[in-house]
Order: sequence, then C-alpha cells, then structure tokens
Amino acid sequence: MPRAIRGVLVECDPSIKSIIVKIDSEDHAFIVEDLDNQTLVIKENMLAILKMRLDEALKETQQPPSDSGSE
Amino acid sequence: MPVKRKASSMYHLDVRGGAKVGRDSAASTPGPATPRSIGSSDEYSDAEPSEEEAENIQKNINNFSVESYKAKKTNAVVGRDSASHHFGKNDFSYLSLKPDHDNRPLWIDPHKGRIILESFSPLATHAQDFLTTIAEPLSRPIFLHEYALTPHSLYAAVSVGLDPKDIINVLDRLSKIPVPQNIRDFITSCTHSYGKVKLVLKDTKHYVESSDPEMLQRLLKDEVIGPLRVQGTEDITSTSAPKMAGLVIPGTKNFAGVQQATDQRGSNKPKDGEPVQQEDIAATLNEDDDDDDDADAVHQFEIGDTAVEVVQKRCLELGLPVLEEYDFRNDSHNANLDIDLKPAAQIRHYQEKSLSKMFGNGRAKSGIIVLPCGAGKTLVGITAACTVKKGVIILCTSSMSVIQWRQEFLKWSNINPSDIAIFTSDNKDKFARNTGIIVTSYSMVAQRGKRSYDSQKMMDFIQSREWGLMILDEVHVVPANMFRKVTSTIKTHSKLGLTATLLREDDKISDLNFLIGPKLYEANWMELAEQGHIARVQCAEVWCPMTTEFYSEYLRQSSKKKQLIWTMNPRKFQACQFLIDYHEKRGDKIIVFADNIYALKAYATKLNKAFIYGDTGNAERMRILENFQHNDKINTLFLSKIGDTSLDLPEATCLIQISSHYGSRRQEAQRLGRILRAKRRNDEGFNAFFYSLVSKDTQEMYFSSKRQAFLVDQGYAFKVITHLQGIEELPGLAFSTPSERRELLQNVLIANDADIDADDRGDDMFHMMDGKSKAKAKKKVVARRMAGALSELAGGQDMAYVEQNKIKNKELKRKKGPSSSFFKKMSREQEKRKKALDEE
Repeated sequence: MPRAIRGVLVECDPSIKSIIVKIDSEDHAFIVEDLDNQTLVIKENMLAILKMRLDEALKETQQPPSDSGSE
Repeated sequence: MPVKRKASSMYHLDVRGGAKVGRDSAASTPGPATPRSIGSSDEYSDAEPSEEEAENIQKNINNFSVESYKAKKTNAVVGRDSASHHFGKNDFSYLSLKPDHDNRPLWIDPHKGRIILESFSPLATHAQDFLTTIAEPLSRPIFLHEYALTPHSLYAAVSVGLDPKDIINVLDRLSKIPVPQNIRDFITSCTHSYGKVKLVLKDTKHYVESSDPEMLQRLLKDEVIGPLRVQGTEDITSTSAPKMAGLVIPGTKNFAGVQQATDQRGSNKPKDGEPVQQEDIAATLNEDDDDDDDADAVHQFEIGDTAVEVVQKRCLELGLPVLEEYDFRNDSHNANLDIDLKPAAQIRHYQEKSLSKMFGNGRAKSGIIVLPCGAGKTLVGITAACTVKKGVIILCTSSMSVIQWRQEFLKWSNINPSDIAIFTSDNKDKFARNTGIIVTSYSMVAQRGKRSYDSQKMMDFIQSREWGLMILDEVHVVPANMFRKVTSTIKTHSKLGLTATLLREDDKISDLNFLIGPKLYEANWMELAEQGHIARVQCAEVWCPMTTEFYSEYLRQSSKKKQLIWTMNPRKFQACQFLIDYHEKRGDKIIVFADNIYALKAYATKLNKAFIYGDTGNAERMRILENFQHNDKINTLFLSKIGDTSLDLPEATCLIQISSHYGSRRQEAQRLGRILRAKRRNDEGFNAFFYSLVSKDTQEMYFSSKRQAFLVDQGYAFKVITHLQGIEELPGLAFSTPSERRELLQNVLIANDADIDADDRGDDMFHMMDGKSKAKAKKKVVARRMAGALSELAGGQDMAYVEQNKIKNKELKRKKGPSSSFFKKMSREQEKRKKALDEE
C-alpha cells in the first residue's frame, strides 16, 4: 500500500538546512525527505512549529550586538 | 554610586564658586583641603582606597568629568516634536544654531564633550590641526570625524602654550552652535590647575615639587600621599627654579641655526628644579591664587620609587595632574651623549609634529606617540634620543627587534658603535664610556626569579643609573603587571612610548597614563596613506558559506572545536586558494595569517606553500623569509601569530586572514600593518589588499565585526564580498566533491585537543627567540591527569581506518547484485533451487 504524506518543499541556505536537521534529529517529527544541501520536504502540518523552533535556534546562534557600538 | 560622586566632586574643587558646582552638596563631600578624620559621615569614600578602587575612581573621572558639568536642564521644552522621543537624552534641539552655521565645521556635544567635525568643510584642515592639539581623535572615517575633550588632551594643549581663552575662542569660531557653558567651564577648570605639581627625578630619587608650598602641605595631609613620603627627609625643601628658552628638534629645517644658541646658554643655571612657565598661565586664570612672587622658588618632598604611580593617580583625582617633564638641557648631573642625526636623515612632517609635541616647551615630556605600522616609529625614537642627548634605554618586545633597533641607530645617527650596547640573553655588553644607549627587551628587564650572574650584574648597573630617556617600543604590551615593574625599577627622567595600536581588550590601556604619560600625538592613517608614507589598502571581508556537513557539526561541538570547524570550512579553503591564485597571477606577494596551528599546517600543506610558526627553527625561518623576499617562485607565505608584530616584509602586498584571535582589534590592526610598508606603495595606482575570510552564520561573523572597529575608526572601509567571481572554474579547486569534504571533516574531528591548543603558545610579544624559551618553560609541567583513550598512549590517536579507492569498488560491486528486497528474495530462491538441483 503506498502511503502519501502532504509535504512542503523548503529551500534554504545550507547552514539553515543543518539547523533544521538538528531540530529534526530530536524526534524526527518534521522532515519527510532530505533531498539535497538546500532542499527539504517538511510535513505540512508541522511547518508553523518548525518556523518557531528555527527562530529560537537562530537567536541562540546569533550574538547579541555589543553595547559598545554607538554609545 | 558613592565613588563616582566623590570623584566628580573632587574634580570640582578648583572651580568652587563657579555656577555649576552647586550640584553636589558641599556637606556630603567636603573637599580634600578640609582636614577630616576617618569615621566622619563620609567615610564610605575614604575607606582604604585600594588600587583597584583607585582605578575605578580614575575611570569614573574620565567618564564623567565632562558630564558632571552638565548644564542645567532647560525646563521649558523647546521645539519638541513627534520625533523627539527617539532621541531621549540626546535631544539637542534646544541648542541654537548660529545663522551662518553652514560655513562652520564643528558640532559640540555638551553631554560627553565630543566634538564632531565635518571633514568635507573647506575649513576642515584648519579645524583638524586645532582639534588634534586640544582633543583626542576617536574616529576618523571619510566624512565625519569625532574627537573627545579630555583633561589629558587639554593639559597637552596648555603645555604647548595655548591659552584656555584662545581655545574657547577658536572653538566658538568654528562651531555651528555657541560653545555650551559647561564645556567652557570644563576647559577652564582642566587647564587652570595644570602645572601646579611636578614630579622630578634628582640623584635617582623622586621628588614631588611645587612652587606653592601650601599645595605641598595639602598633598602631605592627604591620606594617600602623606604616608608615601620618604621618612627621615626634612619636610619640605626649597630651591630656586631656572627659566627656559626655545629648543629645536634635530632633523627639522631650522635646526642648524639654533645649535649655537643652545651652546651659549651656559650651565651656570641651577641644575635642579623645573622651569615654571606654566605657573604664569595658570596664575592668570586663577585670580585668587596669587603666587607670582613665589614663582622663583620651588618646594619639594621626596617619595619612594614604588609610590610614583600611586601619587600620580591620587593627584589626578585631586584635580592636580602631576607634570613629568625633564629639563634635559640644564641637567649637568648626567653626562652628555655624543649623538646627532646624520645629515641625510630627514624626518617627515608628521614625525616632526609628534616630536614637537613631546618637546613642546623645551623640555622632554613623557608620553605616547601613536603612529601606524611602517610610518617610521623607530626614527621618531632615534630623533628623540638625539634631542635629549643623555643616557637612553630602549625596551623592545623581542631579541630580534633589539638587534633591529641597534642597526637603525647606527644607520640614522652618528653614534659611536661602542656607545650603544645590547642586553639580551646572549649579549650583555656595557657601553664603553660614561654614558650611552642600552637596547634590551621587556622580558629581560622584567624577569623575575634568579638571573645568571652576568645579567644580574647588568641589571644592577641599569637600576643604579639615572637615564635621560626611556623608549618603550610597542608600548601597548606594557600595562601587563609584569611590565609595570619595568617602569618603576628603572629611573628615567622621561619616557616615550611608541605604538601603532593603543588598544587593549582589557581596558588596562588607561593605566598607561600613569605608567608613561598621556597620548601626545596620534597620526591620521588616511592622511599618511594619501601622502604616500604608508600604502593604500583595500580591505575586504569575504563571507564563505558553511557547507551542510560542517555546519551540522558546528552546531554540535564544543566552543573550542567550533573555532577549528569554522577555520577549516572547505568553502573558506576554496576562497583562500582562489585568492592566492588570483593574486599570484597579478604578481603580488601574499601573506596568509592563521592563528590556529592545526589549520595553518593543513592549509599550507594542502596548497603546498611555505609556512612559519612558533616551532619553526631559526635557520629555517631565515631561509623561508629570504626565499619569500627574493625568490619569485615563492610568492605565498603562511604565518601563525608570531608574525603579527614587528616582522618587516616590505615585499608583501596582499594579506589574507583565515583565522584570528576572537575579537582582538589590536591583532587586526597589527596584521594590517604588515602590508602598510609595502615597497611598491608609490607606484601609480598601487593598492595593497587585505582580505579577512569569515565563515557565514558562525560566531566568527560577530568577532570579525568587532575586530574591524579600530580600522574603521581610522577611516578604512571594509567591502563585503559574498561571492568570488569565477571560483568554481578554478582548476584543481580543493575539496570540490562531497566525499573530500567529508574526509576533511573527519580529520578535523579527529584532531585532538593538543593540536588545537597549540596556537596558544608563542604570544606575539615573545616573538621569535624569546617565544621559544618561553614555550619550553611551559612544557616542563610535571604531571597531568586527564581522561583519555588508550589509543593516545599507543600513538594511534591521529589514525583512522582508510580503505583506498573503496568507493569505486563498492559502487561496482553493488551494480552486480539486485538491490531491492523483492529481487533479493528472488535471487535467494533461485540459489536454493540451484542447490537442490545440484544435490540431486
């Protein structure tokens, strides 16, 4: 019996892809198919959650701008 | 913040009666002149000011001194509009513009004492000259320059003979807005106490000197300075002070004529004490302090050697900055040194300017001169030595530069070679006659613990003498506590610090004000580049995307490994390869900097280039450097951080940086300095190139932006390159297939911590020889307990199982058999059937 899963094709930078893969590695709830360095198929219903998780992860990787800048 | 309040109120002391002092209530913070006992209501500010606290106070003074003069807030909010709230405290719309503000180039920030100059204005050059005299340059990009008014910069201005009233008048003339009252007050109060107290060195003893005995009494009553007075000396002694006349620095145009004049001025003047011209200026400003009659007599008390720094700090807190000047021409106590610049030596205009600040009033002031790398700092030092003509001690960062300094002295001046001696671990000469020059390194002088007999003898000799001038090369390394000792143990009349980057990431730079003196001069890099004294540089930041494999690993690893991963990013590697290839074809000589030894070796071996790092032997280094300079087959050289400073390679015209020390602005600037002295800089349209390779989406981006801050302040603009045109077509591009990249990643992950750590060795200041001995000493650590794999003991930690050509083979094998489970089943059944048939 063939199964069909609704998915969304996501294209992104290789580094963002790595972050998504990392998020997915915890419970495998997001990725349907890992196509190549810049494209993934994501479960459609999980897309919003993934966006949220990605934002969180990005906040961590980015350093807060230093306060010594202008003042 | 009690400390801050105290500090600012101390500062106000001398303008008491001025309109703005009312802010601090006199009851809570009595001035230091008021005798007080510990235990009174304000003891919170007096309780044992430890050194650290004192430093805090000092910092607060610097931070808040202008602010504390803040003008009374205008209660009526004038001209508020919908945008006002964006500016908060920085809303200056209440300042009124002059009607002809278009023609005036200056803005003044009344809160912070910052002055902003529009450098496109026709008056800009004039204004710039003026501002460099009275203020410290902070940032000088193309169109807008920012300067800060600080007490130190104002003292420097007064000491070259500027009148505070003139300062305010000129400011007012150039400013778009009327000079705010608090800035006026700040200038007046900073300058009026200038020159009251001096620190002089006589017969190897330090004295605090003043023409006003009351001032000294006040200092003696101070709870910090009082106990520091050397006991057993009489309370306050008095001598008379000599007067001074003009002095001309050798090498400048009007030098020749003045020499006679100097000779005519006899030595019949009293030998000690310091001239008092500043008093006159100060006195005119300060009506209620009428000490003109006293100007001829000076009074003094002695302090211990170790107390010098403390006293200096304390006096600054009291609003009485200590002057450290050396009247070398009237010093008959120390023998004169026969030294002059060779007639061929012409010093450049900015060198002359910097020296004229040092010798502004005929005496040698202590301080720091900031010139970019390659702009002739050494010559400035030599000229200063030729001006002072007394015993000179020169401190450098390495034994290599010790030798360079000596050679430069012999090249530019007519000094007798026997008068200039070297003190290093291999060489312990003294000069032949009664005075001379000694060149040595910081580590030799600051060395703790037991010395060899010879060097101990030499040290005793150095410490027992009185030196006319101490030159501190690369002075930004001095504040480290170890070097603090250097300045206190050697007795010098004046100190000259030389550096390109007056920067430290740890804020210790402000200590230099006490250890050496204020910043006397800072050159404008862009201006020098335009005049062709240093090379023009194109700076670029190349963003290299991380590959997926590397980035996944980056997210997983510890911070130390992360660093290695972003350095070894294959895309960065490719960018580096591409740039090397591109510039080699243009005929450039390229230096590649990598902080990390592991990466350095990996890059250099893969690209088949020469490399030098801390463990490279001296002979090998020399051979490589010579080849780099003269052999047109060797155009690229990989250097670890030992090459950051004082390595002279005028051939190099292109610089690529692949890894660096976190956010160190100093390192960035020093590295840039390697190509500023490019030989070909005066060719038509010549540009040197500075590339910084950065892995995208990693912390390196953040560090990189931090590192650039200094150079951006100097007016350099960094271009960002996101894609190198034609990189894919480069033949033989490394790591172009995924399997190669995976292999690289594996190697990086296997690299053990020892390899990664290797970069911490050989800090740039113990460059070359010294670095080696240091490294050896470190290795002697007795035993170390740590968790590890057995394979490390077996020596197998670097090895991984590798099967040559395995992929090809496997691919072939797989093609033979069916891969789907359905076909597998079929083939198994077929086999069974075959067997059954065979058995039959």
